[in-house]
Amino acid sequence: MITEIDLREVLARSVGAPLSDLVTRSTGAKVRSSIEAELSGRPAGAAVVLDFSSVRVLDCSCADEVVAKLVLGRGVAPGAGQWFVIRGLGEGQAEEIDHVLRRRRLVMVAEERDGQARLLGEVEPSAEAAWRVVGELGNAGAEEVATVLRLALVEARQALQAAADAGVVRQADDRFLPLTAA
Amino acid sequence: MTYVIDVPQVFDERSFDQFAAGFAGVEGDARVLVDAHAAEWASPAGLIGLLCAGQALLARTGVKSLLTAPAEREVAHYWARAGFFAHAADLFEIHGAVPRVRPNPERSVLLEVTPVTGADDVHAVVGRIQERSAAILTSELGLDPKATMGFGMALSEACQNIVEHAGTGGWVAVQTYSWRSLGRRVVVIAVADAGVGFRHTLEATQGKRFGDRWGDATALEAALIQGVSRFRDPGRGQGLAGIRRYLDRWHGKISIRSGTARIALVPSWEKDEPLRDGLPPFPGAQVQLVVPAVEREAP
Repeated sequence: MITEIDLREVLARSVGAPLSDLVTRSTGAKVRSSIEAELSGRPAGAAVVLDFSSVRVLDCSCADEVVAKLVLGRGVAPGAGQWFVIRGLGEGQAEEIDHVLRRRRLVMVAEERDGQARLLGEVEPSAEAAWRVVGELGNAGAEEVATVLRLALVEARQALQAAADAGVVRQADDRFLPLTAA
Repeated sequence: MTYVIDVPQVFDERSFDQFAAGFAGVEGDARVLVDAHAAEWASPAGLIGLLCAGQALLARTGVKSLLTAPAEREVAHYWARAGFFAHAADLFEIHGAVPRVRPNPERSVLLEVTPVTGADDVHAVVGRIQERSAAILTSELGLDPKATMGFGMALSEACQNIVEHAGTGGWVAVQTYSWRSLGRRVVVIAVADAGVGFRHTLEATQGKRFGDRWGDATALEAALIQGVSRFRDPGRGQGLAGIRRYLDRWHGKISIRSGTARIALVPSWEKDEPLRDGLPPFPGAQVQLVVPAVEREAP
């Protein structure tokens, strides 16, 4: 199941005003709390798409408070166990999120406006390569990744596991899938 | 006896130390006259620097200091249109003619002098810049629309320094004007407060690390160059880093004055000292961001 969250709607709800600029750390904390509350009743293991299409300005402090802390709290915060994907970012916004994620050594999947996916933040190159193979094939196991990337099977397994641990693919038995795959 | 602080004829970042030296000479709770009658021009940094002085003097003495308005009619009108007198009246007993002006500013004033005390103010400031000034930034300054979005980010982060660290309110103002050494128009964001300053803010977490070297200059270096914050959370301290990235990309300049030091990241089009220490003390922090217009090719 995929849950889509419109950040502008959450922002308006969180601050009680029809704003479209995600700025300031205190606003970010309110927005994150609203999202965590919304997700608290949802089943673990579901993908959550954070839609920034209607957000005009995003500053670093707010990006850290909303995006980085949601990813950071994936295993412990209310609504834990969700996979986060980000969508609808402008170029500048993507850069800000990339930097705040790198600062915390985190990574997440961003869907570009043309539908292409890319990673924002920091992840091991082998995990990124494995993520790419999973995306291209629709789903993959260690054998396919080993073949495509010309890795030993054990290295392919490690790369897939690193991608899963980083939260950019999800695991179903011995197969690995993109986060938003049905 | 009344102590007089002269406002420089051209009051901008470069002449700020002259004003700060006057401010530093005020002893005890002496009555102070801030004399701007001969002022011919003030940058946004100058205008909000005056307000910071007024705020600090009011906090120290409990009474409003005196301020003489610029004698030159056009200068006084410009200060009024920039929103200076509306806030100065809360801090100073103003002498001289204060013009009444229409609330709509001229096009060079992208944001009048605006108080910043909380997150709501930051939202309001960013919203107003995006709604009123995005077109001016792109059409007149030739800024890429992407730069305009980043401008809102930089403005927000600069204002948040006040909200998060000053311990008091401050002001922001945004204007465009010609920058002499560049020969082009620039947009200038000035943000200032009369709060505790960078050294005090960072002392608890950074003071020991620097030992005897700790002071206003090292505090500014730690904040701007090393990106440290008073919080131990590694996600903090990103605001100035974000501003730096933005200015790097668009060949802009940042300078921060706090206490007795001033630091600047100086682009190739500007001559300035990267770090100065031992300046006349001035309360709080004064931040200035300068984004130059895009150089247009000759037709």
